[in-house]
Amino acid sequence: MSPSEKTRRLSNLGPGVSGRVVRVTRENPDRADRLTALGVTPGATVTVLQRFPGVVFLCDHTELAVEPAVARAIVVDID
Amino acid sequence: MSCAQAAMHDQAADPLLTLRARPRRIALLGNANVGKSVLFGRLTGQYAVVSNYPGTTVSVTKGRLMIGGEVCELVDTPGITALEGALSEDELVARRILDRGEADVVVQVSDARNLRRALMLTSQLASAGRPMVLVLNMADEARAHGTVIDAAGLSARLRVPVVETVATEGRGLAELRAAIGRAAVPAFDEAHRGDHVRLAHDLAVQYRRHRPRSAARVQEHLGRWVREPLTGLPILAFVLYGMYLAVGVFGAQTLVGLLEGGLFEQVVNPGATALVNRVVPWPIARDFLVGEYGLVTMGLTYAIAIVLPVVATFFLVFGFLEDSGYIPRLAIFSDRIFRTMGLNGKAVLPMVLGLGCDTMATMTTRILGTPKERLIAVLLLALGIPCSAQLATILGILGGVSFLALVTLFGVVLLQMFLVGFLAARAIAGERSEFIMELPPLRWPQMGNIVRKTLLRVRWYLGEAVPLFLVGTALLFTLSRLGWMTALTAASEPVVAGLLGLPRDAAEVFVMGFLRRDYGAAGLFQMAKAGALDGVQAVVALTVMTLFVPCVANFLMMVKEQGLKAALGILGIVTVIALGTGAALNAVLRGFHVAF
Repeated sequence: MSPSEKTRRLSNLGPGVSGRVVRVTRENPDRADRLTALGVTPGATVTVLQRFPGVVFLCDHTELAVEPAVARAIVVDID
Repeated sequence: MSCAQAAMHDQAADPLLTLRARPRRIALLGNANVGKSVLFGRLTGQYAVVSNYPGTTVSVTKGRLMIGGEVCELVDTPGITALEGALSEDELVARRILDRGEADVVVQVSDARNLRRALMLTSQLASAGRPMVLVLNMADEARAHGTVIDAAGLSARLRVPVVETVATEGRGLAELRAAIGRAAVPAFDEAHRGDHVRLAHDLAVQYRRHRPRSAARVQEHLGRWVREPLTGLPILAFVLYGMYLAVGVFGAQTLVGLLEGGLFEQVVNPGATALVNRVVPWPIARDFLVGEYGLVTMGLTYAIAIVLPVVATFFLVFGFLEDSGYIPRLAIFSDRIFRTMGLNGKAVLPMVLGLGCDTMATMTTRILGTPKERLIAVLLLALGIPCSAQLATILGILGGVSFLALVTLFGVVLLQMFLVGFLAARAIAGERSEFIMELPPLRWPQMGNIVRKTLLRVRWYLGEAVPLFLVGTALLFTLSRLGWMTALTAASEPVVAGLLGLPRDAAEVFVMGFLRRDYGAAGLFQMAKAGALDGVQAVVALTVMTLFVPCVANFLMMVKEQGLKAALGILGIVTVIALGTGAALNAVLRGFHVAF
């Protein structure tokens, strides 16, 4: 697989898919800072648990619930 | 090194410091929901309200802690996610404690399962230059998840004591006390200085191992059932029904029946009346104590016999839900709705807390991200969320009318909240913050904590509400003695009887309702019991009462959180909406000849 196929937005991943965070886009710095403080940083392992009614994912051992716009900002390399 | 020795050491660095002019101050800092308050309780023997969700501690709590032979001061603080960058109010509080040197030693409490996040904070704390200890709490849960941390290695690397604890069981506390004496300023390699993210990541990779997980299977399934709509919504319905059975049926009917119908009507009130009639010679004083608006026959009866049983059962059930970690998961379902109201899913926390007490919940709005969100949440709490005491009387009265009556009341109130929220989101300037929320782990609650929390809250209710009930009763007594009650009833007749279609006497209930909604609702409870209200009147009266500002205490809290101008604005808006809605509801129900 080429890198572009492996690199996806968290919002596009189905439940059960996991990967590593590559980066958090910084068009909204406040959002990026909050995600960083919660442990969503490059290298962190994430697993999508649910997409509807909101995106829920596991980052390390923290379960995080976010709205779709936030999930779109998280760029992930899928395993 | 004991606390005393630590103080001496400090003194050497700062010769002007007098020997223990004040006790040594130790601050508990750390991410939200990692167990700071449990640890605080364990170390000081002083109970701080503990729940399984972030934001329970909204202010700094102080207590005394013995280390070696020395009395130290321990400070519990609200949870924080960062100490640099854009900081929340709570984070500013923590920042100030560090900057003003209000902590001689910092104990960073962390969740052992989230080492990376903890270390990001450690790295930021390091720059404050305070001696510190790193606590890896919930070590048992981390191990069950298969996480093993090399605490000794991490300690050697950071050059601060690292202690593993299970605060809820009191494990690791002796080690922690000893470690506080050895607290040191963390040392980081120059290469990492300032890059908290990379440092935390590298250290976590180096000192954390994952083993095949041994447990947590049931937790995972339960977590999925609760958060997925197909199973989650039926579970929510079941939880609400369970609460109704516990609070509405057992509390509001069985217990109130025993206390009010049994104890007070049969024993306390006749006994008090007989005693007062024998001992007190003045008729006016007799009336004041045991008359129609008597302190005992009305004030105490309402407070103890009608409201207390329901408040107590509510807090018991609510404590269980709080500690299970269930409540924050409701944010997943409610996020979309809250977003149309200028809030986000996180607002579910203050709203649900408001069912316990709107005053406390108004304080909890601090966990919301922006001033706009906080203002809308305070408004919605004042408008639509009935507190436990009031919920009690609603369930008590309408439970006896019909299920449809209950659905009508809650339907109207929810619709009203939605409309007001929708409009407020557009009328109030500012932004909402995005929904990013950490879900606490699901746990089987510890009964001991629930019982302690309930007792604390009941004691708080007795201290807070009972005096107001007595003041309210005295006020009613005075009004009725001076003949003003008749005037007031006559003056409010166009509204009470005309617009709302209620009996004239209901005016006095609304006077009571201005002091405390539940006090007014208790008055309605008495009227309903005496058969003075038909179904429609009960629904209309309770709807208006629910939409009123909850109580004087809540109003004062609104002033404290939002300022006098905003609080008065909310009071005005809420009163107009309450009366308007009541009038409309009355017209509609009468127009369609609905009988409950």
